[in-house]
Amino acid sequence: MTTQRHEFDPTPFLVEELPWAPRFSLRVRPEHRAALAGALSLELPSKVGQRSTAAGTEVLCLGPDEWTILAQDADALTTASSAAYAQIPHSLVEISDREITLRISGAQALTALTTGCPRDVEAMPVGTGARTLFDTATIVLWRDDRQSFRIDVWRSFLPHVHAILDQVLVELKSGL
Amino acid sequence: MLLIHCPYCDETLPESEFAYAGEAHINRPADPSALSDEEWRDYLFIRTNARGPHYERWRHIHGCGRFFNAVRDTVSDRFLMTYEAGEARPDLTVKEAAE
Amino acid sequence: MSRYRIPGMGRVDPAATVSFTFDGRTYQGLRGDTVASALLANGVHLMGRSFKYHRPRGVVTAGSEEPNALIGTSRGKGRFEPNTRATVQELRAGLTTESQNKWPRLSFDIGAVNDRAYMLFSAGFYYKTFMWPRSFWDKVYEPFIRAAAGLGKSPTEVDPDSYAHRNLHTDVLVVGGGPAGISAALTAAKSGARVVLVDENPEMGGSLLSDPSVRIDGRGSWAWLAEQLSQLRAVGVRLMTRTTAIGYYHQNFVGLVERVTDHLDQPPHGAPRERMWHVRAEQVVLAQGALEKPLVFDGNDRPGVMLAGAAQTYLNRYGVKVGDNAAVVTSHDSAYYAAFDLVDAGARVAAIADTRDSVRPDLLDAARKRGIQVLTGHTATATEGRLRVKSVRVNPVRNGQVGAGRKIACDVLLISGGWTPSLHLFSHTKGSLTWDADSRTFLPNHKTEACQIAGAGRGLWGYGPVLEDGVKAGMAAAQALGRSAEGSDARVEGDRPGTGSSQKELPTDRSPGKAKAFVDYQNDVTAKDIRLAVREGMRSIEHVKRYTTNGMATDQGKMSNINGLMIAADALGKEPPQVGLTTFRPPYTPTSFGAFAGYHKGATFEITRKTPIDPWAEARGAVFEPVSLWRRAWYFPQAGEDMHAAVARECRMTRASVGMFDASTLGKIEVAGPDAVEFMNRMYTNPWTKLAPGRCRYGLLLGEDGFIRDDGVIGRMSQDLFHVTTTTGGAARVMNMMEDYLQTEWPDLDVWLTSTTEQWATVALNGPNARKVLEKLVEGQDLSDEAFPHMSVAECTVAGLPARLFRISFTGELGFEVNVPARHGLQLWKAIHDAGQQYDICPYGTETMHVLRAEKGYIIVGQDTDGTVTPQDAGLDWAIGKAKKDFVGKRSLSRPDIVAPNRKQLVGLLTEDGTKLEEGAQIVLDPNQSLPMTMAGHVTSSYDSVALGRPIAMAVVTGGHGMMGKTVHIPMPNGTIRATVTSTNFYDPTGERLKA
Repeated sequence: MTTQRHEFDPTPFLVEELPWAPRFSLRVRPEHRAALAGALSLELPSKVGQRSTAAGTEVLCLGPDEWTILAQDADALTTASSAAYAQIPHSLVEISDREITLRISGAQALTALTTGCPRDVEAMPVGTGARTLFDTATIVLWRDDRQSFRIDVWRSFLPHVHAILDQVLVELKSGL
Repeated sequence: MLLIHCPYCDETLPESEFAYAGEAHINRPADPSALSDEEWRDYLFIRTNARGPHYERWRHIHGCGRFFNAVRDTVSDRFLMTYEAGEARPDLTVKEAAE
Repeated sequence: MSRYRIPGMGRVDPAATVSFTFDGRTYQGLRGDTVASALLANGVHLMGRSFKYHRPRGVVTAGSEEPNALIGTSRGKGRFEPNTRATVQELRAGLTTESQNKWPRLSFDIGAVNDRAYMLFSAGFYYKTFMWPRSFWDKVYEPFIRAAAGLGKSPTEVDPDSYAHRNLHTDVLVVGGGPAGISAALTAAKSGARVVLVDENPEMGGSLLSDPSVRIDGRGSWAWLAEQLSQLRAVGVRLMTRTTAIGYYHQNFVGLVERVTDHLDQPPHGAPRERMWHVRAEQVVLAQGALEKPLVFDGNDRPGVMLAGAAQTYLNRYGVKVGDNAAVVTSHDSAYYAAFDLVDAGARVAAIADTRDSVRPDLLDAARKRGIQVLTGHTATATEGRLRVKSVRVNPVRNGQVGAGRKIACDVLLISGGWTPSLHLFSHTKGSLTWDADSRTFLPNHKTEACQIAGAGRGLWGYGPVLEDGVKAGMAAAQALGRSAEGSDARVEGDRPGTGSSQKELPTDRSPGKAKAFVDYQNDVTAKDIRLAVREGMRSIEHVKRYTTNGMATDQGKMSNINGLMIAADALGKEPPQVGLTTFRPPYTPTSFGAFAGYHKGATFEITRKTPIDPWAEARGAVFEPVSLWRRAWYFPQAGEDMHAAVARECRMTRASVGMFDASTLGKIEVAGPDAVEFMNRMYTNPWTKLAPGRCRYGLLLGEDGFIRDDGVIGRMSQDLFHVTTTTGGAARVMNMMEDYLQTEWPDLDVWLTSTTEQWATVALNGPNARKVLEKLVEGQDLSDEAFPHMSVAECTVAGLPARLFRISFTGELGFEVNVPARHGLQLWKAIHDAGQQYDICPYGTETMHVLRAEKGYIIVGQDTDGTVTPQDAGLDWAIGKAKKDFVGKRSLSRPDIVAPNRKQLVGLLTEDGTKLEEGAQIVLDPNQSLPMTMAGHVTSSYDSVALGRPIAMAVVTGGHGMMGKTVHIPMPNGTIRATVTSTNFYDPTGERLKA
């Protein structure tokens, strides 16, 4: 019988709050996606969950007509958007302050996410993302590596998410 | 907790990402003022309450955000199919024949 | 070594002694013991008193189905748990336990008088006994029932333990780590599938742990088990012990509760007590085995009477001999093996009485070799012994006639009424059962979920067939996943095959009406109770169950349901399947609330949303109130101030000079696109086409039924861009409603919605000096009334921050709202606070906001409206774009019941005697009418108004708009209050202050 076997792990996972960065919500009809991508010099993936990265700008397709953009050059993006608007109606709204991003990484990062995410995070391919839930908070989940994730959490929901992750950290450190 | 296939994400995901949104294929009249009180009442309040396949709407609210339609058997609580908003009401007999 | 411990037997650690207490006395057990096995090792059988009759009871099982041995356990402050099953609780150092349902002590209990009054406590006695006189109910009956009802004592302290939660996705979930489950898991895992194997026991093995003599593939069963487990680990199967599958829900969603620390002497810091797992499996294999049933006869509940299988488990798994001199009464072959193992371990078995006339010759041979007398065709008719069984009386049954009885002395009586396949989880899925006439038991039939059932759960018996069945189930699961699986049959030597049958209560030569033949030990239901229920008209098993409470205890009838059904069917003269089986419902075993709550306790009980300005308010000693999920500063008391004084000061200072308010929680939606104005026209009652960029307007949102849903000020930032604000609580709902219309009704519109609630932090400035404060901070916008009149909006710089500036007012004073990116919210707040010092700027909270708006008659949606209030009712006709052909809810505004006279309408109320009314108080027109009075409406808002020097109130009153100046009455406990109906616009009715 094994009754008292503890596997101590000093840092099962790491939670870091990432610095502020320009973030936009882009909306456009799917039929105008390619044209707008050209006008904004972005790659806009057409499938929900897919991401693209070019020249430091990251794009994640969250819905059939919705993308989150982490812009390297926010001014250039808004300028290009204004210029394209008359020809290609769309909406580009700054949401840099709406969400705060946490990076969750380490050997048990996946386990940490399974405490709150109902979907199969393990099956999520590296390099994809999705809007989903952590506990009762809506989040945008980015899988950057096998054991490295980012979650974007609405500002006021962040303390709750963080507090749960803190509890999980203590729990995992116990080895049980 | 059910599993629901989002036709926009093309993924089958846990129910907690979704929100129920009432019966499907009840279109808002183009000109409500042309409706009699009885017709308007029916639009507002009268619902099918089906025993068996039920055409209903769901929203992938903690996901892609899209409203879509589903056919769910209210007896077995099983989803028979989901499809995009705006698509015609599917003929289940055709679907069964295909299976 | 304890008296009944057999050296060299069992899986406990003989070198590791563990001390614990039971009812204040210290006992020694071994590491690996349960409380039950340790007490038995010390010769203690008496572990509790029964629920209704307070009869002495001993342990009857060795598993989670235990109905009798329910104890209170404790390991320090706040860590008391009632109704813990002694058969499940593992021994740990310092464990304190106590028996339940006894007073003053377990061996002598006053409540046992109920046992003497047995005839009074028959089925349905609650319904019969407490009917009259009616006056007895409050003083006598209810206190009695409350005192007597329930088992154990509820904990009174806050649970200091933590609980955890996991989501787990897997290809195959196997429930039950016995031989069938292990074979299924290994077979499925070898096909490459992800497999999880769970078992509620501290170790895997199931029945193998109680059958070490069986040989599999040339090894002893325990060696075989160890090798299988290492293979399972090697192929990556997740093995979860102490983990109970509590519920099986739609689409292979299974809830597991893992007991993490209850067995540990010293749990490591931070370890959760229990962990709830939400498992989603492609395939589920149910290999939960079978549960042994008792036989029903007079005195079948004395301490020392236990299931034969339990005795075998105590012997082989824990090295505990349950007695020195056993007697056996059985209707199943399995009890013979228990008897053989006991004799082989040095105990005496006086006799095996078998209800069947013929028994397998090899069993009779094996019994004879061990010197055990076998009495076939016998019944048991009584037992003796007060706190421990002393003898059993058995009688031959010939042609249905019960012959003369004889007494067999024993210190333990092993009984077996056959086995019931454990199909609780299968029943959770609404899987149907079929009656197997041969084995007289229910077997799984039609499946509703993607699951396999293996082993004893399908009525199979003996290790050979069960192992083979497990392999088959594993292959079927793998194949359903599109994988090819191979399985090999195990070679079993010394197998223990068996058959048996289910029984009604055993025949007796005594009056059946006097027999205390228990069917449900936990709820004290006897065979007589069930027959009485049928006599009194209960026909369905569901009615019998509720009338007798058979199977309604915390064990959910794991041992009693089939026996109860057999008796009810016999009484009804029907076959059991015609009488039916009651439904098993989750959870499979009692489950702590903590496991369900998980991380949702204490500070993370639920989300508490805070604004960027919240830390400042907290540092200032603000008192907070919850508003939907937000916590908002309610008021800012200064030294010595109570709420009333603080709010009065905040109101006074704001109206006299300037106040500042954190409005960040207001919902905000960016409506953008070429069709933005068309969308706004369709959603809101108001006309938007002519609203110029740079201007804003109060917007009113209805449901399609014409009732007010939300409101807020909406600014037109540019031709194609609106900044919509919603109520704090309505933000998500309004966004959802707008998306619904946009996506499904008007997908042709080129417009998009983005929630910006948390993009912006918002500070409201109100009061005659608001402009003077703001002017010092604003760049890029002339704030004069000419350049920036009431209801203007502009993008500019405030305190060096990019801002959206609104000139609006929710107080009736000159007012502004400044929005800046949320990360700068606190900086903006401090800058305004600094700039306002020369004007004695006053931070105010939600209470003052409420008072100031009420003085102006501005409504709060959800407070002054309740989902049945139309714009006309609320006096907001002016907000309706009369020229618009359509908007959401417009058609309903001409529905007959909406245009009917005498709807409840929003008015102001001023009490004649200056009393402050209570919100929610009911209003009547004639205080002298007879009871019950006709309610004419209710008070929706009520405050002390500093500006008016008196209390004010808002109310909805039937036909209120036509009652200006009339008197209404508000009956209260201390008398009826008179109030005059007025306009809701109490203060500055012409709005001069707004235009300052």
